Amino acid sequence: MFQLLLQSSGWALFIGRFHPLLVHLPIGFLLIAALLELGRRTNKINVGAPAIAFILLCSAIGASLACVAGYLLSLGGGYDALLLDRHKWQGIGVAAFAWVAWFVSIDKFKEKIPLVSTVYAGTLGLAVLLTMTAGHDGGSLTHGEGYLSQYTPEPFRTLAGMPPGKVPSEEIKPIENIEQALVYKDVVQPIMEMRCTQCHNASKSKGGLRLDDMSFIVKGGESGPALLAGNSAESDLIKKCLLPENDDQHMPPKGKPQLTNEQIALLSWWIEQGAPADKKVGELQKSDAVKPALASLTSGNPAGPAKSTVSPVLSLKVGQADEKQIDALRKAGLLVNSVSQDLNLLEVSAVNAKDFDDRQIALLTGLSGQIVSLKLGGTKITDASLKEIAKLKYLTKLHLDHTAISDAGLANLKSLDYLEYLNLIDTKITDNGLKSIASMKTMRSVYVWKSNATDSIVNQLNRSNPHVVITNGMSGPAIAQFLQIGKNAARDSTKAL
Amino acid sequence: MQNLLKELQHTHLQHQTRRHFLQSCGFGLGALGLGSLMGSCTAASGDSTPQSVKTGIPQFAPKAKRVIYIHMAGAPSQLELFDYKPELIKYHGQDCPAEFLEGKKFAFIQGVPKMLGPQGKFAQYGQSGAWMSDYVPYLQTVADEITFLKAMHTDQFNHAPAQLLMHTGSARLGRPSLGAWSVYGLGSENQNLPGFIVLASGGQQPDAGKSVYGSGFLPSVYQGVQCRTGGDPVLYVSDPNGMNRGMRKQTIEAINEINRQTYEDVQDPEILTRISQYEMAFRMQMSVPEVMDVSKEPQFILDMYGVKPGEGTFAMNCLLARKLVENDVRFVQLFDWGWDGHGTSKDHNVEGGLRQKCRESDQPIAALIQDLKMRGLLEETLIIWGAEFGRTPMQENRNGLVMPFMGRDHHLDAFTMWMAGGGVKQGYSHGETDELGYYGVKGRVHVHDIQATILHLMGFDHEKFTYPFQGRNFRLTDTEGKVVKEVLA
Repeated sequence: MFQLLLQSSGWALFIGRFHPLLVHLPIGFLLIAALLELGRRTNKINVGAPAIAFILLCSAIGASLACVAGYLLSLGGGYDALLLDRHKWQGIGVAAFAWVAWFVSIDKFKEKIPLVSTVYAGTLGLAVLLTMTAGHDGGSLTHGEGYLSQYTPEPFRTLAGMPPGKVPSEEIKPIENIEQALVYKDVVQPIMEMRCTQCHNASKSKGGLRLDDMSFIVKGGESGPALLAGNSAESDLIKKCLLPENDDQHMPPKGKPQLTNEQIALLSWWIEQGAPADKKVGELQKSDAVKPALASLTSGNPAGPAKSTVSPVLSLKVGQADEKQIDALRKAGLLVNSVSQDLNLLEVSAVNAKDFDDRQIALLTGLSGQIVSLKLGGTKITDASLKEIAKLKYLTKLHLDHTAISDAGLANLKSLDYLEYLNLIDTKITDNGLKSIASMKTMRSVYVWKSNATDSIVNQLNRSNPHVVITNGMSGPAIAQFLQIGKNAARDSTKAL
Repeated sequence: MQNLLKELQHTHLQHQTRRHFLQSCGFGLGALGLGSLMGSCTAASGDSTPQSVKTGIPQFAPKAKRVIYIHMAGAPSQLELFDYKPELIKYHGQDCPAEFLEGKKFAFIQGVPKMLGPQGKFAQYGQSGAWMSDYVPYLQTVADEITFLKAMHTDQFNHAPAQLLMHTGSARLGRPSLGAWSVYGLGSENQNLPGFIVLASGGQQPDAGKSVYGSGFLPSVYQGVQCRTGGDPVLYVSDPNGMNRGMRKQTIEAINEINRQTYEDVQDPEILTRISQYEMAFRMQMSVPEVMDVSKEPQFILDMYGVKPGEGTFAMNCLLARKLVENDVRFVQLFDWGWDGHGTSKDHNVEGGLRQKCRESDQPIAALIQDLKMRGLLEETLIIWGAEFGRTPMQENRNGLVMPFMGRDHHLDAFTMWMAGGGVKQGYSHGETDELGYYGVKGRVHVHDIQATILHLMGFDHEKFTYPFQGRNFRLTDTEGKVVKEVLA
């Protein structure tokens, strides 16, 4: 009866939420009392017994208040019963032992109790010990079990016999083949794990709801099932996310990281499709609304070069370039520019020196520690130059288009550890040269239009080397197709008029 | 004594007239003759630039090395092209709700206009599911290269001030344009071509005139150089009859020598500008006709863009833009006039008129993206498409009358722009408008925000990229602007 009354009034939770605040007072007081007692007994400090007794009184009162607040907080529900029970009794134990320790430390009782010193030391010790265990369980209740050790680094992880670290990521891993992905396991569950299961799991199930497994989602919580298969608009899971963020019922709670529109669209779509547990994306009908959201899950657009990564070279600290070397390059007509004001890295371009040739290429070697981008398109260099270019260890972008280079020269570039971009348009390279380049780990984009590389090899290499995008020019049929699309559409729209 | 004074005055005048006349001709009427043909910063960097910015060096490594900015002057309707509003179909022909009109001023709409449903047929394209209408069939093929900004907004509802705001960050005259800031910051790479080139089509210049590509208070080497698309690309750059190149060279060397001496006397940095202009003009005699000549382009490329040699069309300008960035020109600005679809005439409406403008521009824009991509240039070239504002979800009712064609009025609260290439996401849409397309409700981007974003892509913090003028540091975004991080790749 009393419990019901408390639950129905806001007072219970209001006071209850002071528990995490109050609970730190007895922890601190008890530790201080124990430390002072230790110091006193080892004659390290000069402190009177009454002082310690007073601190013990404070901790006993604090612990009692924390117990009351803790009980009121627990009425709000949503905690693992077993863990909560253990925490409750440990907390009460702290309070009880603190009272006893205080009681026996008061002067007037000292003489009347046998073995007073042993009782005193024992109760104080027990209170401190229980503070630790109760505190740990309390932390587990609030933050979830395993919170403390989640980020245990190696080698301690292996030593402690813990499984390899599984860190909840802030980003869902890109899915390689979205059509083959399982809707629940690969799309829905990662979203839940990122945004929902911190509070809806085995040890902490707020609102009686667990979202860490399909069966629990269907079962729902105190307010009924979380989803209504086939009807996302009537499913609490979606409704709560769509409420205004200020609404008390809104999920995730205000201040916590929120679901993105795409994530909500994905969850709604899954529910609309009947919330299947083991269907693949390809087996379900896709609404227009969910297509961009699904696209956002893939690892970028396979049709175009992946541009999001920044070259690791840009974070290297390299020494300043020799001004004399730069001047020599400039005298040869090359453009030499800093990559940016805070970097010593250089970009070199022969845009104004189309006569640049093999005889001058050695000029670059003096800046091999700085050059990251080299544009030699349309110059007179040949394969001989590539031996020198291969010495530019930080080179990330290389334009060799419209030059006489061939496979023989290209082989030199394999030693470059950072090369990402290679423009081979209008050169003599062939399929063989391209094959060796495509397997370079850092390579991201290669352009081979008007070279001797064939479409079939380009397509094959693009498939077998997903990290690199090789682009050939549009062939006659491809351009005809491009023009046809427009013509068809134009004809259709004239009809519409 | 009197004679002596007279003689002094006389010599002084004699000394003044010729030099002063030439000088003020060049400096005062900067757009005259050779004066308008410059753009390289090769000579001007160093002495004439202030300490705050080391020109030619970005503040951080840029993703976009070059820019092609396509401005559709007059402002096409986003509601016909990209911003799909199915709800608006339901309200077609109904009175505009009062809350849209309260406290609002429009360029032409008066009283209570009717809502106007979208005229295009919309569908989603590409893996990204980008919404586009049948007005732009070719652009559909490159949907996954594009980042849309669907909730753009501006402060100005008349063409000229809105264009000024879009390109110079201020609706008033006198500020440097985005292209000028870019060349000022990053320098110019090809010494034979201006770093900032402007090409206009559609039969008229942009409403705000040359100021939209001017250099404002920046040294005038940074202003945009307009090239003609038909005939001589640049007027007066070829040698007159009877003067050969050697003689022209000697003339220019002599003039520059005199200018250099004057500079040593008076230390005016604009003289350096002048010297570099002469040198540039001389080099441009060779390089400009070459780069502007499309006769050597293979037929399939001409077909792809839909270009016929000799035509000064928008399609031709797109092809030239590719040739210019291929030759490392920093900033190419395209203007195409005739997008002002009020519904006043056969050409200016959101039905047939807009369709015709799209027919002329859709194919070359898609071809430009494809062409840059297969040349390996799209990765570092940023393409921006947009206008000075958008168009209303209401049908225009100029003077309270029914217009002869379907048209929409200028609208500053919501319009669409898109970007592709250097450093922006591929296949992405940022921002949303309400269900009638009147206001941006999510991801709103102001003109200053997109400017900040463009500068960011070019390696500059828009708040630290400044130029001291009349006692304070000026920047493109004035005191506003936030980089739209969501669109960055």
